[in-house]
Amino acid sequence: MEALLNEIIFLPIIHKVPPGRNMSSYGSIPLTIILMVSLVTAFFFIYGLIGWNVLLSFTKSMGLITSYELAGSIQYMKAGSDPVFQISLKNNLMLIMLFIPGSIGLGLLLAVLLDIAGSKGETLYRTIYLLPFSLSFVITASMWAWMYNYSYGVVNTLLTALLGRAFQINWLGDPNIALYSVILALIWQFSGYTALVFLAGIKSIPESQINAARIDGASAFQLYTKIVIPQLKPWILSAFVVLMVFALKAFDFIYVLTNGGPGVSTYVLALLMFRRAFFETDFPYGAALATILFTMVISVVVPYLLLSSRGREK
Amino acid sequence: MAIKTVYALVIAVIVTAVVVGGGLYYYYTTVLAKPRANLLEIYHWWTSGGEKAAIDALVAVFQAKYPDVGVIQSPVAGGAGYVMKAVMKAMVAAGEAPDAFQVHAGYEMKPYIDAGYLDPIDDLWAQQGWEEVFPPVVKDMVKWGGRYYAVPVNIHRANVLWYNKHILDQYGIDPATLETWDGFFAACEKLRAAGIRHPIAMGGIGKWEIAHALEQIFVSQGIEFYQDLINGKLTDPNDSRLVKALQIFNRYLDYVNPDYATLTWDQAVARVIRGEAAFTIMGDWANGEFLVAGKVFGVDYGAIPVPGTKGIYVLVVDCFERPKGARHPENSIKWLIVVGSREGQDAFNPIKGSIPARLDADITKYGPYQRQAINDFRNAKYMAPSIVHGSGAPEKFASAFNDISSAFASNRDVSAACRGIIDAINAAKDEYVKEWRLY
Repeated sequence: MEALLNEIIFLPIIHKVPPGRNMSSYGSIPLTIILMVSLVTAFFFIYGLIGWNVLLSFTKSMGLITSYELAGSIQYMKAGSDPVFQISLKNNLMLIMLFIPGSIGLGLLLAVLLDIAGSKGETLYRTIYLLPFSLSFVITASMWAWMYNYSYGVVNTLLTALLGRAFQINWLGDPNIALYSVILALIWQFSGYTALVFLAGIKSIPESQINAARIDGASAFQLYTKIVIPQLKPWILSAFVVLMVFALKAFDFIYVLTNGGPGVSTYVLALLMFRRAFFETDFPYGAALATILFTMVISVVVPYLLLSSRGREK
Repeated sequence: MAIKTVYALVIAVIVTAVVVGGGLYYYYTTVLAKPRANLLEIYHWWTSGGEKAAIDALVAVFQAKYPDVGVIQSPVAGGAGYVMKAVMKAMVAAGEAPDAFQVHAGYEMKPYIDAGYLDPIDDLWAQQGWEEVFPPVVKDMVKWGGRYYAVPVNIHRANVLWYNKHILDQYGIDPATLETWDGFFAACEKLRAAGIRHPIAMGGIGKWEIAHALEQIFVSQGIEFYQDLINGKLTDPNDSRLVKALQIFNRYLDYVNPDYATLTWDQAVARVIRGEAAFTIMGDWANGEFLVAGKVFGVDYGAIPVPGTKGIYVLVVDCFERPKGARHPENSIKWLIVVGSREGQDAFNPIKGSIPARLDADITKYGPYQRQAINDFRNAKYMAPSIVHGSGAPEKFASAFNDISSAFASNRDVSAACRGIIDAINAAKDEYVKEWRLY
């Protein structure tokens, strides 16, 4: 045992490889150790604390007083009877149903256009489209708040100029519209990212296939709908998962743009969790909401990971 | 699992244990055993230019008195403490409370009191003679179960109607006619007829700007009504006073800029400064915006109590306290003495734009608006703690109140809002532990 320990600990330092053994079998052990140390730390700070959060949601804690006496699922029942929880959940679902297809659709369109445009100015356009995604949500949300301003915002100014005063829209002040305003702005921010992902996917399609299709007389439209887009499936799937996770945990953009308003019309689960925990000092309920959110995200991510690892094994 | 991996895992656990254990050993034997530096660490959310200058002035008073104590200020940016609220709750719960931190007096202190995170400071109050110099409602705001837990440093007034004097002069509107809602709406109508479509400016991007206006309208329905509201004693959604208040707010919103949902409070004040609107209801921190814009009180702009609230001072109070387990408890007490002293308050408040929570301020140190405010404060018939600014009602109600106000501003449904208020009171039923006596 001692000899083994010596070998493991000092080998990488003295770089002496005993005859008959190759470097890689030894080199991997110290690497494994480093990996394991970070794994153990990560396990504590990520999974340990997730576990603690789940535990908290089942305890009799109140406000800032932490108790480890179990209370059952009271906090989860509370979510069932909290009308704002239902609105938040509905809004998260709206995000999933509108924001994800919107971002993927627009991203696909942009990617195809960028591909058609070819190398001419591609870098320039790529930068332009990716720029929104590189900005902080707080900044873009503040910008959209100005643009959506009812009286002076650029959006209503344009609408007035094109269609007349009657077409002014109260983007953030009307509870029936505010959520769509949020979704529109988010699609703007994410479509550059999806476009870039899809563009990379298009580039990875072998040139020979495209040439073959061309020789067979495929039109540009057929080329994209029959050859290119079907091959983007894994790329679309990975973008879908990223967007899905975002749609579930969306917080900062909405916090700045509407703070859940008007009324509670644009609340989402993450915002509700933040308000209940930190503004109403109801930490166990906040923990329960966090657990619900976590379960939702996990149920999206895990199947994807399984699917993609199975794909790789094939 | 390969045998190699098992070894590696075992070693990894040992290495981690050694590193963490060694670190903790060092921390407990060396760091904690050392004599502690003579420091005072305070947290607050005063980060804008004027605010920072004000807290620096207060710290300067402290350092003149206690030159051997090093002061560490840890400001957390975010208006009205919206960010710090979350930070401080997490720190205190983790046992990392500083020597003192800023908090709104009243219900915002309740979570800390409930969990026993603050020390009572009755002795300090007796020793410093503070009983005599603070008004009763202000004292009540820092008292829990009959014991003092904090020292108020300043008072902002919430029920202020700011007006652009040039506009009022131009259209012959006498501010004295604005003491009632009828007079106020007549003035709004007059301005609208003269071409100012939206004579009232209001913000709303953070929701509380809307709730702030509604709160002052509640106060205008009489101190008895407001006391019932903050004591959680309202039960009837058809209560005539409640309905009347929402009806007034409904009319008020008719004159409000339609883009309120995208504006901050200071952008709303800026409309009054630029003369695009004549009125705005905002706490007296708005005075700083007029000053920065180079406007002169009584010449370019004026301020009167919100219609129907003359003689009432709606209080927004910041205070400091001594957290249990503070690292430097003696310095914490020294800090509180300075915070509560006339000298400290008269150094801080002229710059902050608020007025001292003490009744014996040196009025010569203050600007024209503040002098008027100090006079109103001393002669106030009633004082009332603000809900929106963390004092009057449980956090749960205050949070719901923001949502209700914001929903009402867009749907204008009086009966839904009345029901919402009663529901919010019922939902927070267990948390009404204070019995306010405002009259």
